[in-house]
Amino acid sequence: MVELLVFGVLWVVFSILGELGVSAWGHNFYYYTASTQAIDGLNASVFLFRFLTPIFVFVVLMLIYIPLRGRRRSPESVVRGKGARFNAAYVTIWVTLSLAINLLFFLHPTTSAAEAIFQQMSPQATSHDLVIDVTARQWEWYFSYPQYGIKNALNANGNNVLYLPVGRPVEFVLRSFDPNHPYALGLDVIHSFWIPAFGEKMDVIPGETRYMVATPTKITSTETNPMVRVQCAEVCGPGHPYMYSTVHVVSGSAFTQWVKQQVKAGN
Amino acid sequence: MSVARIGDAPLPLRRRPMAPVIRGLLWAAIAFVVVNCLVSYVIDPQYGTPFITQPSVVLGWVAALIGWLLGIGGMENILLPSFGYQVPYVEVPGWRRYFAYSTNHKVIGIQYLVSSTGGFFIAGLAAMLMRLQLWEPHMWLFPYPGQYIETVGIHGTIMMFSVGTVALVGGLGNYLIPMMVGSNSSAFPRISALSVWLVPAGILTVILSPLLGQWTTGWRGYEPLGLNDPNGILFYYLGVFALTVSSLMVSLNLTATILFKRTKGLTWNRLPMYAWGILTVSLLNIIWLPEIDMTFVLGLLDRVVPLPFFTAVGSPLTYLEMFWLFGHPEVYIIVVPAFAIWMEIMPVMSKKPLFAREWGIIGLIFVMMLSGFVWAHHMFTNMRLTEMLPFSFFTEMISIPTGFTYMVVIGTIWRSRFKVTVPSLLVLMSMFNFLIGGMTGVFLADPVINLQLHDTFFVVAHFHFTIIGGMVFTWLAAMYYWLPKFSGRLYNPKLGIIGAIWVFIGFDGAFSLMFIQGLRGMNRWVPVYPQYLQGMNIVISIFAFILGLGFLFNLLHIVWALKSGKKVRENPWEAKTLEWSTASPPAEESFAAAPLVTGSFYDYDDGGATSLPVPGPLPM
Repeated sequence: MVELLVFGVLWVVFSILGELGVSAWGHNFYYYTASTQAIDGLNASVFLFRFLTPIFVFVVLMLIYIPLRGRRRSPESVVRGKGARFNAAYVTIWVTLSLAINLLFFLHPTTSAAEAIFQQMSPQATSHDLVIDVTARQWEWYFSYPQYGIKNALNANGNNVLYLPVGRPVEFVLRSFDPNHPYALGLDVIHSFWIPAFGEKMDVIPGETRYMVATPTKITSTETNPMVRVQCAEVCGPGHPYMYSTVHVVSGSAFTQWVKQQVKAGN
Repeated sequence: MSVARIGDAPLPLRRRPMAPVIRGLLWAAIAFVVVNCLVSYVIDPQYGTPFITQPSVVLGWVAALIGWLLGIGGMENILLPSFGYQVPYVEVPGWRRYFAYSTNHKVIGIQYLVSSTGGFFIAGLAAMLMRLQLWEPHMWLFPYPGQYIETVGIHGTIMMFSVGTVALVGGLGNYLIPMMVGSNSSAFPRISALSVWLVPAGILTVILSPLLGQWTTGWRGYEPLGLNDPNGILFYYLGVFALTVSSLMVSLNLTATILFKRTKGLTWNRLPMYAWGILTVSLLNIIWLPEIDMTFVLGLLDRVVPLPFFTAVGSPLTYLEMFWLFGHPEVYIIVVPAFAIWMEIMPVMSKKPLFAREWGIIGLIFVMMLSGFVWAHHMFTNMRLTEMLPFSFFTEMISIPTGFTYMVVIGTIWRSRFKVTVPSLLVLMSMFNFLIGGMTGVFLADPVINLQLHDTFFVVAHFHFTIIGGMVFTWLAAMYYWLPKFSGRLYNPKLGIIGAIWVFIGFDGAFSLMFIQGLRGMNRWVPVYPQYLQGMNIVISIFAFILGLGFLFNLLHIVWALKSGKKVRENPWEAKTLEWSTASPPAEESFAAAPLVTGSFYDYDDGGATSLPVPGPLPM
């Protein structure tokens, strides 16, 4: 009984320390968040950390405490007989708690956060999302803005570039094919459209159209933080590491100006 | 000049029969050249009549594999007898028997272990090359990025199919399971005798894949990328085919052994935990390996015929679904035997009965069954949103039966006089590392978080924590634990502890930083990455080199101990499972008379005293 008490005290103390750690550093889990979706994911992660910390502390403490304690144990204090083979209270608590915690995790954050994402990704009759057609090919991203007549957004150096207005939901329409060789059906492969700072990615699959919705929350760019970049996340051949583009999240007025400039340049 | 007359005894063969491995290689080479030339010059000559074409290399490889298996001993022992020819079986003496066809399950076990170890260090070398390349954020070690990605693929393929699924099943399973169930032989010894030789063939095929051209798909062979890449992917399909067929044959044999070769009194209620582990993992193999083999055959035909199954006009997603339908059970194929070994070693080290044994078995079986329901969590980024939730549900739920293993082990060592030895220390490390792997899996099971973490180094760290942390640490523990069984000798306790701590520091240093690296935006399969990630990559590389040397240190130590470690008494751990009731090392026939089991193997109510105290030094 004393032993259980000692262990219990240690467990509570280390769990509290762990929770303090989660409070202090948990919000850094995503390093840099620049969209509502990333913030959703971050909140879900912190919630999981809250519950996983005491479990982690429990098991690790057992793995350290028992071997240390076992060295100095007298033969009389060893559990013998029936209690060494089964302990109904311990097994019941373990099984019930693991079931309860998993069901909790499934309801929240899994289902709740997923429902939120489903909601954002469903077509909204009333909203005016910015639609961007994203075409992935080996090994390049093309961005076109059909609502503004921009066929292929390029920067001054002729590289593909993604400009987004802050605070407005963007619907990325993702396709994988080579616009320069549209007849070659077998030509392109699976890519994955990822902006690390936006906290989500979606695979781009030949022959299918995929959608990803993001709402940028702050004015930023690849130059400000390299996590704000489009990066192919699914291996797609030798050029895979080079398949990235710069991203600029700008104010509404700066975006309008950029659109004008692109249209003028005939992109 | 002597002339043979009718009635004389036949002249003795003047030269010794060729060494089986040499003969196998020779027959394989001849078979390859003949069939390859037949296809590329006669049956299906292609424009410019190249020596190697896609169909010729595939059929040539099949012929070479058959030649290899026949040459190694399949000719005299399987092919000719099945046509009614009686060929006397000549057991090769001494160390040579390990390089020949042998139906002795202990020889087969060692052969599997050696092949797996070879695969482990070859693939480990590939990992070292990867870490060296990642020292710099630009290309410097490899001339072309495709070569780096191909190295990643070879590393993953060999590790998964020749080490992860093989070492604890084909290796330790073949060696220990017949002894653990009190039998002198496995149920189908000739199956395993042949299947073991598919492993070196498979490893060699994958290593030689660059000869046919780069393949950049990683170990998963994703389509349609596999179709677009140069021809190296052919040897990926064929090599993996050989390796998985080997595992399938082993599983059939071990399942039958556990079902039918149990000795008197060894009821299901008394079956050792490792036998339960091997039984569940074998069922997983029997269910899922044919499925993935069929998928790889489709991929191969897709390319060679060619067919459009997995292109934009077919369905690339079908390949992904089929791959992961096998791919997730695969990771349980790797760790389930490790769970069983934890439950095997820990009662012995605590001298206390296995706690809640039934729950441990329920855990193994439910992990086996649920593992078929979770595959699509590898595909959250390419499936419809509505399809995510059921997979997320089962993925979270599978942690419950997995947790039962922890419940059983903690219950077993609780309030015991637990002895910290090299095997038990490694099991504790394995449990710690697998715990981190499991806990990070909770984040990955959540679709919203998964959309960020998928395909980053976070995932790389996660599955290395489950596979190296779960399986490789346990493999080391098992090697140290059963070392007295293999050779009658013991490791050096000091060197053993140093080796365990060495790999623990290298492993946890390298892979825990990879979690952070993934969160900072480092994606997978890239030899070139943004500058801001370089600092941490250098630290990871240093830890990775420490880890690589640590594994080498353990290998040398184990080999040294097998040969010239200190001699110990027969059953140094005072374990009660049947393999310890044989001599160490076991005789040709493990049991002189079939043993009779009268009670539990994990009963220590007598305080751990064995009935027959044998003199000799106790291990640390």
